[in-house]
Amino acid sequence: MTAPTPAAGTEVAGGGSLVCVFAVRDRPGAAALAGTSGHAGGGPLRLLELPGPLWAVVQDVPAADFGEEALRQRLAAPRDLEACARAHHAVVSAAAVGACVVPLPLATLFTDADRAASALDGQRTRFLGVVDRVAGRSEWALKVHVETAPPPRGDSTDAATKAPGSGLAYLDRVRDRQRDRHARQDAAVRAARHVFEAAAAHAADAVHRRPHGVEITGRDRTQILNAALLVDDARVPDLVGAVRALDGAFPGVDLRTDLSGPWVPYSFTGGAGS
Amino acid sequence: MSALDGPFDGAPYGPPPATANLADILERILDKGIVIAGDIKIDLLDIELLTIRLRLFVSSVETAKKAGIDWWETDPALSTRAAESALAQENRELRDRLAQLEGRTARRARVREEA
Repeated sequence: MTAPTPAAGTEVAGGGSLVCVFAVRDRPGAAALAGTSGHAGGGPLRLLELPGPLWAVVQDVPAADFGEEALRQRLAAPRDLEACARAHHAVVSAAAVGACVVPLPLATLFTDADRAASALDGQRTRFLGVVDRVAGRSEWALKVHVETAPPPRGDSTDAATKAPGSGLAYLDRVRDRQRDRHARQDAAVRAARHVFEAAAAHAADAVHRRPHGVEITGRDRTQILNAALLVDDARVPDLVGAVRALDGAFPGVDLRTDLSGPWVPYSFTGGAGS
Repeated sequence: MSALDGPFDGAPYGPPPATANLADILERILDKGIVIAGDIKIDLLDIELLTIRLRLFVSSVETAKKAGIDWWETDPALSTRAAESALAQENRELRDRLAQLEGRTARRARVREEA
């Protein structure tokens, strides 16, 4: 949809519109949203005042694109899913500048602004609980990978099969190779746990996520830790220092640690103080 | 939240979240945040299955419950347990083959002696 942007609250592109809610924030100030356009084909982003005091970040979007069936089809198309996800993330991140935000899941849609306001008001206590919990804090993503080195030369199954020697010698070689590999894996897991504990010591909370597969990391490395940390703004330098101090601290383990942030605390807004 | 204005720029650790990879964004926005029963409902389970179908994640939901680290357990390429059983089987097959060959050699030797 490339319809020209209509004024807030007007019908979008014919066929009716829906109200998409991105996040709830604890402060007014729509200026933070000025540089962000939201979902393609929708109206301008605006703030919907709720009792609380809280403000919902909303956008009118075409019902033709965001109705139940249309949305199901679009979210099943990788390109559309990516566009929706990135638009959502951009709005939530913009809304978090200068305020505390509670992000809502992708595609939280209502038939109109009144419906949105009344449904959101029903969650007021939970929103305020989350605001208390994440105020002055941000989320940091901690990932640990091990480089997936090819097996040492001359030690491949092929070479071992061709090498001279008895069947028993062959079995010994296979066993040694397995033992080495297990030792490397155990060392990597221990090192990753060490990194996590060192980082979590500076965090108010931490969660483990499912490690990404090779489609994301690439074949040359294996992700063994994918964690999210909720960190007080004042402790961020400590966190960064602690993680950096462990670079190269594990002899014999080819570990690579990535710390990225600050993220909107997506992973810590799942409920009232959960 | 001043953190988002960048109290620390994060360098050299990772890209800023605005340019984060899709997997990082999806895993956050799909299953987190207070779920409001909107008027249009997209079952989050559908989307979770969808992301798996997209092969963004290869480890199973079962292993995800195990705090992220124990996931090697079920990966035959990496799991100690799985690898050990594979080794044991290979070992068994080789011993069987060896016994067969030794038996054949011994029989041939006997035939030659009798001849």
